[in-house]
Amino acid sequence: MSRLSFILRRLGRSVFTIWFAVTVTFLLLRLLPGDPALAIASPNMTDDARAALLTQYGLDKPLIAQYGIYLFELVRGNFGTSFTQSIPVMNVLLQRLPWTLLLTFTALLLTVLVGIPLGVLAASKKGRFIDKFVQIVGVTGQSIFVPSIGVLLLFVFGLNLRWLPIGGAYDTNAYGMAWYGSVISHLILPAVSLMLIQLGSYVLTMRSTLIEALGEDYVTLARANGLPYRRILWKHALRNALLPTTTLIGLQLGFLVGGAVLTETVFAYPGIGRGIYEAVTQLDFPVLQGAFLLLAVTVVVANMLTDIVYGFLDPRVKTS
Amino acid sequence: MTSLDPLLAGATTGTAVLAEPIADSNGRASRATWRVFRRDPLGMGSMVILALLVLVALAAPLIATYPASYGTDVLKAPSLTNLFGTDSLGRDVFGEVIWGTQQSLLVAVSASFIAIVVGTLVAVLGAYFRRLDGFISIIVDLTLSLPVLPLMILIAALIGPSTTTIIGVVAAFSWPEVTRLVRSQALTVVNLPYVDAARLMTTSPFWIISRHIVPAVAPVIVVSVVVTASRAVLSAAGLAFLGLGDPTVWSWGRILYEAQQSGAMSSAWWLTLIPSIAILLLVLSATLLSIAYNDARNPRNRAR
Repeated sequence: MSRLSFILRRLGRSVFTIWFAVTVTFLLLRLLPGDPALAIASPNMTDDARAALLTQYGLDKPLIAQYGIYLFELVRGNFGTSFTQSIPVMNVLLQRLPWTLLLTFTALLLTVLVGIPLGVLAASKKGRFIDKFVQIVGVTGQSIFVPSIGVLLLFVFGLNLRWLPIGGAYDTNAYGMAWYGSVISHLILPAVSLMLIQLGSYVLTMRSTLIEALGEDYVTLARANGLPYRRILWKHALRNALLPTTTLIGLQLGFLVGGAVLTETVFAYPGIGRGIYEAVTQLDFPVLQGAFLLLAVTVVVANMLTDIVYGFLDPRVKTS
Repeated sequence: MTSLDPLLAGATTGTAVLAEPIADSNGRASRATWRVFRRDPLGMGSMVILALLVLVALAAPLIATYPASYGTDVLKAPSLTNLFGTDSLGRDVFGEVIWGTQQSLLVAVSASFIAIVVGTLVAVLGAYFRRLDGFISIIVDLTLSLPVLPLMILIAALIGPSTTTIIGVVAAFSWPEVTRLVRSQALTVVNLPYVDAARLMTTSPFWIISRHIVPAVAPVIVVSVVVTASRAVLSAAGLAFLGLGDPTVWSWGRILYEAQQSGAMSSAWWLTLIPSIAILLLVLSATLLSIAYNDARNPRNRAR
């Protein structure tokens, strides 16, 4: 019962968050100077033509009715039509979404796989050189502008050493297994760029929560009982220190997606972020709107899944 | 304990603020903070770098002429005539970076100023008037759980790129973070006995908030000013990099955007490296400064 209600409550919160994102977007589109009709209509249109256009897009109806229609269309999966390509925005974006998911998920996985051991290392050698070094790397990573690290990697490993491809997501001439290989080799540089800027917050959070956990009574007791330090560190203290780090994933998801937009732009990676970059140059508002909503839904759903999985792993979460 | 993450430090050193006598001896506390801060090489170094950047921003017209006219020497590597080389239209990159400092600092300072004022006000009001608090924390949670950059892009594209747009958009999505930080501190302060005592002295919530609550959360505000400003630099650079910067003013993000547009981004290394270092210097020194301040403010570090 409690488990089910936990999931249902979490689901309700996600739906509420998505509704909030949709409503904010609707109000922005209607109230900001970039009038959708003006954006499609040329300024020298006659008043009649303009009025016809407004009727066609339902913009002559009262705001609340427009809002109703807007919600209804979104639920049906209709995000409008791209200004420049004259095809449904949903089609444009759904082609791109898998690439963004692949990139962000790989980056997140890399960050956790590298960040947690580094945090443990720093915490267990607290105050020593290696601890200071890890902290400095962490803080510096957080301060780097994502495209900067992207271009640096591109320059070194793509152009100079020629180890890895410099852009795109796959090799157009490869088939079968070679194609999957090309997908991986195209993924490395963008995913590592994203990892490097994310790493800092994970390492530093892991470090400080682990140091706190190592000061707890149960650690002293375990040491007094003669358990080896290594075992206490990895088995006992780490398990308790993982909770704040897991909640960090949720907090950082929005930031990660923002980073992905910039990284995809640098690497000409065919995800939603690159789509946003192209839509900005052409002022394609329906695509920008759809991209934001789709990314928002992705982040909210991913966040919910992390929480639910965590709820199953940690018995304390359900009760609180 | 020295914590390098300013956000975490803000949350965990809550007790440190309360350990200080708040009302009458603020001067003594800040002098003690300064005594410890002065001895921290990272903190002092960051402060010097920030001061230099501000100086460069203010003195930009004296250091370099505004790079407006196109030149014939296209994509020249750094040399004595062009310290940072030239871009794909033959303009002097040194001038672009110098004038870009002005724009980047302007955006960072104004956006974070607005975000701090709004964020603190909302946080303090929420902590004091508990009825508002539920609503405020819902709005803050919702905003923080959305991908903010795509939203900023949508708005900046709708309004049209200009310096005011960028400042407004960055400020509009930075205040919830400030509220989150300040609110947790304000909630502890509101429940302290001296605030109850103040309630007996006056019925004006304005008086209590401005005289008793805001001063008590001031250290958290100082830390979040720095965090917000450095995030503002990164957000503004991100918008400019996607082509949503002010097209009439040089900014570090715009240099990178034009390098990307002209396809010279990876071949002409100076076009990317120099603005990147400028962004890194500004953000890193701001972050280190806030860490050093936090450590110096912590009474546990003063016993040395």
